[in-house]
Amino acid sequence: MSETIAPLEKPPSPGAPHRAELPLPVERTLPNGLRVIAFPQRSAPKAYAVPIIAAQLILRGGASAESEAEAGLANLTTTLLTQGTRKRSAVEIAQAVDGLGARLDASSGFDASTASVTALTHVFEQAFALLDEIVREPSFPSAEVERVRAKTIGDLALSYSNPSALARFVAQRVAYASAPYGHPVAGTAETLATLDRERIVAFHQRFFRPDNATLIVGGDCLPDEAFALAERQFGSWRAPATPLPVATPVSAPPPQSRVVIVDKPDAGRTAIVAGRVGIARRSPDYPAGVVATAVLSGYSGRLNQEVRVKRGLSYGAGAQLIARREPGLVIASTLVDHTKVSEAVNVVLDTLHGVARTPPEGAELVTRKATISGGFSRSIETIDGIAGVLGELALYGVPLTELGDYLPEIEAVDAAMVQRFAAATFDELFVVLVGDARIFGSAIAAAYPNVTTIPVAQLDLGQPDAVRR
Amino acid sequence: MTSTVSGAAIAVAPIDFTDRTLPNGLRVLLVEDHRVPSVAINVGYRVGGKDDPPGRSGFAHLFEHLMFKGTKNTRPETIDRLTEDIGGLNNAFTADDITNYYEVVPSNYLETLLWAEADRLGSLAVTEEHFHTERDVVIGEYDQRVLAEPYGMLDELVNRESFVVHPYRRGVIGDPENLRAATLDDVVAFHRTFYRPDNAVLVVVGDFDPAQTNAWIEKYFGRVPKPAGPIPRVAAVEPAQTAERTYTYRAANVPLPALEYAYHIPEWRHPDAAALDIVETLLGMGKSSRLYQSLVYRRRVATSAQASADLREQPGLFSLRAIASAGMPIKAVREALDAEITRLHAELPDAAEMERVRTQIASSFVRSRQTYNNIAVALVRSAIERDDPGALNSDLDRYRAVTDADVQRVCRRYLTAENRTTIEYLPL
Repeated sequence: MSETIAPLEKPPSPGAPHRAELPLPVERTLPNGLRVIAFPQRSAPKAYAVPIIAAQLILRGGASAESEAEAGLANLTTTLLTQGTRKRSAVEIAQAVDGLGARLDASSGFDASTASVTALTHVFEQAFALLDEIVREPSFPSAEVERVRAKTIGDLALSYSNPSALARFVAQRVAYASAPYGHPVAGTAETLATLDRERIVAFHQRFFRPDNATLIVGGDCLPDEAFALAERQFGSWRAPATPLPVATPVSAPPPQSRVVIVDKPDAGRTAIVAGRVGIARRSPDYPAGVVATAVLSGYSGRLNQEVRVKRGLSYGAGAQLIARREPGLVIASTLVDHTKVSEAVNVVLDTLHGVARTPPEGAELVTRKATISGGFSRSIETIDGIAGVLGELALYGVPLTELGDYLPEIEAVDAAMVQRFAAATFDELFVVLVGDARIFGSAIAAAYPNVTTIPVAQLDLGQPDAVRR
Repeated sequence: MTSTVSGAAIAVAPIDFTDRTLPNGLRVLLVEDHRVPSVAINVGYRVGGKDDPPGRSGFAHLFEHLMFKGTKNTRPETIDRLTEDIGGLNNAFTADDITNYYEVVPSNYLETLLWAEADRLGSLAVTEEHFHTERDVVIGEYDQRVLAEPYGMLDELVNRESFVVHPYRRGVIGDPENLRAATLDDVVAFHRTFYRPDNAVLVVVGDFDPAQTNAWIEKYFGRVPKPAGPIPRVAAVEPAQTAERTYTYRAANVPLPALEYAYHIPEWRHPDAAALDIVETLLGMGKSSRLYQSLVYRRRVATSAQASADLREQPGLFSLRAIASAGMPIKAVREALDAEITRLHAELPDAAEMERVRTQIASSFVRSRQTYNNIAVALVRSAIERDDPGALNSDLDRYRAVTDADVQRVCRRYLTAENRTTIEYLPL
């Protein structure tokens, strides 16, 4: 096309790799039962010191600890932590946080509720005291309960309008029905309407106690400074005499090949999510699962190659392994034109089945593992990122030495292990389609035996089968 | 405990970069840092949505995709092989004024990627077949970002209605019909016109040896010739707006009504830019911000409210966007937004608020320095969109120098009804 510089020149080969320096976490448990994990910032000559310290407090107990009827309780409780304490109103908390240039957040997932703060070093101590204040002394003012409830309901409407987001919510219900990972973490408009201040206070009392918590502090401070800070701030926190709450077991129904269509005529494109319940984070199959997912994901991963690069069916496609305290979902997802749904579903399912049929060998295995090691290295490039990785290990009961062991474990995964994982996992898959079913519904019904269609007006994520009563 | 700290206390080390221009016109910026054994490589071209050829809206962005589709020396997706396969990443983005390509790779692969970036600058070679497949992908991206994403179309409408003359009105993602009309000849012409070393900035940040790196850059980029002839530049000047323009659009997939105010503001290099950033922060950053406190928290007319100083190479837009609360008429949102603008015109912000805003903006500035690629992207954008990469190192001083009177002055000057395009974006 334009001028040639040197025909058929090959890319130069790499030099010798430089060694990565891993942050070394150290831990201590305070007399009140609070587990504290500290990590220092990496240092090297000729490096910009980043004057930031991050802290994260993780409490076991999230949305999987709430009943179907109180769906959204954990999230509502945690969201309200920043909306009033015994000392400050919501406005005063916001002004204090912004006045320090800090970030203070609180949210719940299925297995845990988390409050975190990051701030520049010279104001960190003040920001850390705010973290303590919202965790130990929230006041849950009634007016704030109403406001956050209304806002959460509004936000739900917004996320339901996005076909990709909605398809994931539906996938949770299809996979778990009434089991604890089935309902939306944020609840539904109906369940949120019934949650009162009394239940919120009770949830907080039950789970927010030092012997149920892990505190991670790190970045621009030495571990000894972090421990001293933790002791000074949280040492006076006392656990109640009541026994620690016990996690609810997750008993998902057996996986089943089926297609669930949510007919959403105003969707711009159709979201496709295919998958099933996979493995827990502590499963010995976890490294094989991570590699199998990497084979499917990324630009050069098999799903994107088949869906986007070879066929131009979508802007992108990939897979995700969600491994939690108990088995989470393994899903493949993409977003396609309504007219291409049938073809795309076929390609997605065939690609998933293909992992066991043709497991990755040689160069494919080496390169897909490299994407994992690169992704992991980047995830610990920032101080928040390191705190996040350590928090997940602590929450799922994985030893902190995993920070150093993780990449060797990935390296040890071979084709047979991926094949075993894929054969056991990419079978009996559900498919969720959210889009304009007038265009693709009949083709799907003709191609697959077990198809359920739910008009979007009939959808209720508060029900185990997602259908409004 | 004090509730504010002095923004003046926030000190951050300047980005220590070398800046030189090769004989063929390529500007090279290097930042050495050995925290992590990786490097970020960015190649930014001074071409964006505003430079799309006539009748080819969205072409710069389509072209960005084609830069991954092979050269005289490599097959399509080679850049992906050379990054993803070794645990790195690569991507690119097209904005109104810039197309930027970047890779983050283990540092021992720096030479490989410098070669690959120079290769696609020097010898792009796309086949008809790849051109057609990728065009479908780009139209798919349009469907995903503009059609499927709630409010995706609103961004396009804001540009289209705010600018009457300037090509910023076409946006970046463009028009699927224009893209379907594009040909492989357009691709060849576009590469020849804009992908030349004197229209590019190369930035490398991270774990490398400067002497070695400079030698590689000379070897691979230095041999790409500088073409004769000038590079076409957008000369259109948007006439000053003299009366408010108001539009109402209805669309599918609008969960809640939205209101957008877009005001013309000067280019990023303009002395008022720092004050406009401060106004953006004061109105929209964090839960203590004025829009959140008024629209979302106190009046509850909106579920979210944002402010954005969209500073560009040429005069851009300051926009305010509020999404109504369920059941709330758009009129109530409008009244609340108008009240905040009236307040900005009438009252000086108090000292505590000014201090809080300066602290917020300085803190977010420090946070954004954590990764090599963030530093590289910031340098590329500053080099291209304001012709001055070093301006990054004086931004904090400029923010500190903004006074309460400056805030009031820029609000009175730019945030006026006659300088505004208003869009009500409603469900069907």
